[in-house]
Amino acid sequence: MSTTEWRREDRLPHIYCSGCGNGTVINCTLAAVDEMGWKREETVFLSGIGCSSRAPGYINTDSLHTTHGRALAFATGVKLARPDLHVVVFTGDGDLAAIGGNHFIHACRRNLDVTVVCMNNQIYGMTGGQGSPTTPPGAISTTTPYGSSEPAFDLTELAIAAGANYVARWTSYHVKELTKAIVEGLQTPGLAFIEVRTQCPTNYGRSNKMREVSDMIEYLRSHAMLVPKYNRLIAEGKPIPEGTFTVGELIRRNRPAMGVRP
Amino acid sequence: MKLVIDEIRCKGCNLCVLVCPYRIFQEGTELNDRGIVTPVLDRPERCTNCRLQPLYGRLLCGVCQMICPDQAITWVDERPFEPHKVEVEF
Repeated sequence: MSTTEWRREDRLPHIYCSGCGNGTVINCTLAAVDEMGWKREETVFLSGIGCSSRAPGYINTDSLHTTHGRALAFATGVKLARPDLHVVVFTGDGDLAAIGGNHFIHACRRNLDVTVVCMNNQIYGMTGGQGSPTTPPGAISTTTPYGSSEPAFDLTELAIAAGANYVARWTSYHVKELTKAIVEGLQTPGLAFIEVRTQCPTNYGRSNKMREVSDMIEYLRSHAMLVPKYNRLIAEGKPIPEGTFTVGELIRRNRPAMGVRP
Repeated sequence: MKLVIDEIRCKGCNLCVLVCPYRIFQEGTELNDRGIVTPVLDRPERCTNCRLQPLYGRLLCGVCQMICPDQAITWVDERPFEPHKVEVEF
């Protein structure tokens, strides 16, 4: 089976803007699910509200498009009612970090056996570019016209602190690595959280001097730093360049999981 | 195998131009029927997946297909004896 059989071909082309990274994340997730060899009848995709949450609409399986921020709450229900189903949750940063923050923390605490793919484009893309909890300091958005003055949320650190079993971060430029990370996450019992930094040239890039898609991809590529290199720089006491974020597998552990497939 | 860009799905973001290691995708210059400048293929027979997929029986490279946000890049099987453009390089 190939990834074309997982897509609703009649729904394509999708509504995402030109150059949006969410389509890439859908490709990688479907490639990972396909590599796992799961059946379409046994896989459920869930999402909340937002650009990222349009994704299950283009996937030819059972899916739930739920209320804003409550995708993980619905996923808890699905997983506890039917532990034999495979559950994958698509969320965005506004969905997961802002309104669904507590659901996220408690899903990590319970260590629910789902895979969460968070498409973090650092802005509320669908509603017109308002600043989100993950907008980096100094970035200009509709609600922060003089530059954001707040520190940004690091979602992976939050997931690690709250107790997720597998946490990784990649960008939409690193497609092969992202696919491998999602496969690892799908195999791990317990909550697997994969944060994907995606580009949003329409709303984020336009107001932050990255109007072209290639500029945003270059930003993601040049500011991503592998975890071993980051640890080495810290150990040697060398300075970390401003604005870099770590990519790679951040944690893997074996806390007792909830709702594991019998 | 033959590399094909779906003109209906492509939105002209030129991400494939960025990632192709052989620089097969080149930025286009002409608008298509939908008002979008789609990339053009420069000697697509150089693509490793086009040449070697039947030999290896699996997807090789495939980064352009993976990164394409609009799912517009595919490989299709060629019909037997399809005419090829031959270029002689000196």
